[in-house]
Amino acid sequence: MTNAAAAGATGSQTSRAAEAAARGVVNFAVGLAILAAFWWLGGYFIAANPKTQSFAGFGLIPTLQAFPELWQLGKLQKAIVASGYRLGSGLLIAIAIGVPIGILMGRSKRFRELSNSSFQFLRMISPLSWMPIAVFVFAAWDHSIMFLIAIASVWPVMFSTAAGLAKVDPAWFKVARNLGATPVQMLTRIILPAISFDIVTGIRLALGIAWVVLVPAELLGVTSGLGYAIKDARETLSYDHLTAMVLTIGVIGYLLDTCCALLIKRFSWHRGDA
Amino acid sequence: MSTSTAGAGNAALVAVPTGTRSSRALKASGNSLFNFFAGLVILFALWWLAIYVATLTPGTQWAAFGPVPAFKAMVKMWQSGLIPKALWTSGYRLAAGLGIAIVIGVPVGILIGRSKRFRELSNSPFQLMRMISPLSWEPIAVIVFAGWDQAIIFLIAIASVWPVMFSTAAGLSKVDPAWFKVARNLGAKPWHVVTRIILPAITFDVLTGIRLAVGVAWVVLVPAEFLGVTSGLGYSIEDARESLEYDHLMAMILVIGAVGYVLDTSLTMLIKRFSWNRG
Repeated sequence: MTNAAAAGATGSQTSRAAEAAARGVVNFAVGLAILAAFWWLGGYFIAANPKTQSFAGFGLIPTLQAFPELWQLGKLQKAIVASGYRLGSGLLIAIAIGVPIGILMGRSKRFRELSNSSFQFLRMISPLSWMPIAVFVFAAWDHSIMFLIAIASVWPVMFSTAAGLAKVDPAWFKVARNLGATPVQMLTRIILPAISFDIVTGIRLALGIAWVVLVPAELLGVTSGLGYAIKDARETLSYDHLTAMVLTIGVIGYLLDTCCALLIKRFSWHRGDA
Repeated sequence: MSTSTAGAGNAALVAVPTGTRSSRALKASGNSLFNFFAGLVILFALWWLAIYVATLTPGTQWAAFGPVPAFKAMVKMWQSGLIPKALWTSGYRLAAGLGIAIVIGVPVGILIGRSKRFRELSNSPFQLMRMISPLSWEPIAVIVFAGWDQAIIFLIAIASVWPVMFSTAAGLSKVDPAWFKVARNLGAKPWHVVTRIILPAITFDVLTGIRLAVGVAWVVLVPAEFLGVTSGLGYSIEDARESLEYDHLMAMILVIGAVGYVLDTSLTMLIKRFSWNRG
């Protein structure tokens, strides 16, 4: 066995894969443990200092203790369901509008040229600026929140879809036309499979923006949801509940983003493979 | 002159460009200028039409939402100094927050790129913290920082640091590792490696990260200014809403969109300037 200059891999392919996976899990856990340690340390100093003692609820231990409390009160579940409903509806609207328009942008040069400046301008209007109008237009607060999420999320979906379409080999359209494809078949057999990867990438970006918009949108006028829960905890000075909700928001956001990333890997296809 | 081929009925199968290269470039920029304005004209026309149709129903107050009242209000608010003051205050908070995000994000991003151990261990906490919706930090920021200005700057910084950090790290991973070896061979000190190899190579990615950071910061800025301050773009929106001055509201929305568009376009041009064709 020569110990060559090149790093020789030891063991079989499966054992190396298992080792890599175990390493990933360890890194994941140790990383979070380091974060928790810093947090605990901060909480310790807050509780030890008599001037900041009333803010002891921000520490790690009180926050973790608040979770069973919030679960039993039902606050955690209610907030997640309410926010999830608004987020899901807003994103669905964004996809239902963004994908067709994105395809239109990809297929029609005239539409793309004329719509570009307007879309770029509308896209840069900070989404929460629409809030007073949304409240004026929609009767229910739930609907105005869904509108805000939709108007923030539609742009990444739209532009990712258009970009995906631009990557499709134009020869495919010519071949399909030659073989007598109807427009619907063009859509379902060529376009949608080709751009699935880009659509899901756009959805991941849209989710990121929607996640930023959701919390401030729920700070006014509603009595449920993650944003409201934070405001409520602050007003009742329950700092442990507050930090528990902040942590919940982080965890849920992380899970949603990871699901999107897994979906993207699933739809990713190596272009040029036989 | 067009290079048309001789021969009757011999239609050009390949599109042959006509005119000189500079005349074509001029025509292309003329085209894009036309499209730029035509697009906006169409948008405002649709806006006007929507309000007109809405005002046909009696008993509704849609008229104040129209484009004409909005532009009139914009002129009024500009002359009264309201818009310049809002732009100045919001601009200060945005710049300060972004500055902090860059000062923290670029070094940490370089560290992530250079140290495998740091990258592996920091990944899970950073991914978790990145997905905490920035405005969730608001109650904590308000308690920690004495002034509302500082709380807003903190919110913008904590929202913007992640795109800068991860873009910097991604840029570093694209750098040819051979360059580091060559630099080390030639006796480069760590400081030289940073200034002569790393920074020029990742400028493009850092600017891309800043562009993304501005995008997120722009979303966070407005709601952050809803509470506790007395000037700024978000405050003007909230103020217009409370006093039911919907023409002021639409004017502010136009201003926010225009400023955001200018910021994003400037960064895109900067990115093009620093983009270099590798290989």
